Amino acid sequence: MSATLVSVGGMTQSFDKAFDKDSRAEAPIRAEEVTALRGFLDYHRDTLRWKCSGLTQEQLAQVHEPSTMTLGGMMKHLALNEVGWFGQTLAGEPYPPPFDGIDWDADPDWEWRTARDDSPADQWALYDECVRRADAAIDQALARGGLDAESVQQSSSQGAFSLRWILLHMIEEYARHNGQADLIRESIDGATGE
Amino acid sequence: MERTQRPLRADEPTSLRAFLDHHRDTFRWKCSGLSQAQLARTLPPSEMTLGGMMKHLAVVEQSWFEDDFVGGGLMPPFDTVDWEADPDWEWHTARDDTPEELFALLDEARRRADAVLDRALALDGVGLDGLSAAEHPHGQGHFSLRWILLHMIEEYARHNGHADLIRESIDGQTGH
Repeated sequence: MSATLVSVGGMTQSFDKAFDKDSRAEAPIRAEEVTALRGFLDYHRDTLRWKCSGLTQEQLAQVHEPSTMTLGGMMKHLALNEVGWFGQTLAGEPYPPPFDGIDWDADPDWEWRTARDDSPADQWALYDECVRRADAAIDQALARGGLDAESVQQSSSQGAFSLRWILLHMIEEYARHNGQADLIRESIDGATGE
Repeated sequence: MERTQRPLRADEPTSLRAFLDHHRDTFRWKCSGLSQAQLARTLPPSEMTLGGMMKHLAVVEQSWFEDDFVGGGLMPPFDTVDWEADPDWEWHTARDDTPEELFALLDEARRRADAVLDRALALDGVGLDGLSAAEHPHGQGHFSLRWILLHMIEEYARHNGHADLIRESIDGQTGH
């Protein structure tokens, strides 16, 4: 369902233009909790892919004033959220490149700011890789303790996060950003739709 | 304003309701302190307005919980609208409503939805696997209450994303 990655002459290219509204994962309308939560998360991951598909590097760097958000920045931000919540917080894994060497205290919006320097192919490849890592961390946590599995890293004052909470938070995080993406995308080329 | 907290370790129904309430509260915050004219402002090229979104989310609460899940129909003023002739009625009529009327409508829809949830999730209720009275329009059968709650969370969160940009364009207010 994700952008198809193929190796061409040693370069990884992303054929994201084929990603459309109707090829999104969907949450089944009757399912147990794990399937339902993962279904809604996958639906919103695919919705972000759809909203960002078929755009040039310049279009991915466009803002819809007065907001300073861009679709490219949002993809990099959500890639970071995937490895931040599922990899680092839930599983206790260090950030993968390029997020591992950043001084986040000095530059808290690094991913938003630097996305404009990345080609669409690089942005899609990073996003897909972070989703792949996140899914592996979810699989491991489910095997360890189901949706009540507790995160390795704790919140600042309220103890550990349950996997249930992290999944619900990622659904709301994606849905919120997809709402912003709706308006940004419409301002770029007029494309709309839920 | 004080928004509902989302407990970090809780059972499924408690978690789902807390996330829904958090987004309902976030939406109220995004719409609060604005005049009727400000609630009718757009951020072109989109035609959405915060006032229209308030009325839309009121009818969405009604439609999923009281109409589709229970099978009880829509409350006024939604019950007498010809939706086939005017599917965006709530969006374009909101500009004629005062902020007080829009908040009252949203509050009443939320109160009725919560009454449905309280019954369904009571000890002797149907629970999250309980099925809707209405069926999926494309032949997939009945909706579980679990799906409806998750859908309402994403519905509010998505509209809160729209509201973020529209509110920022009205008076510069930001924040999640």
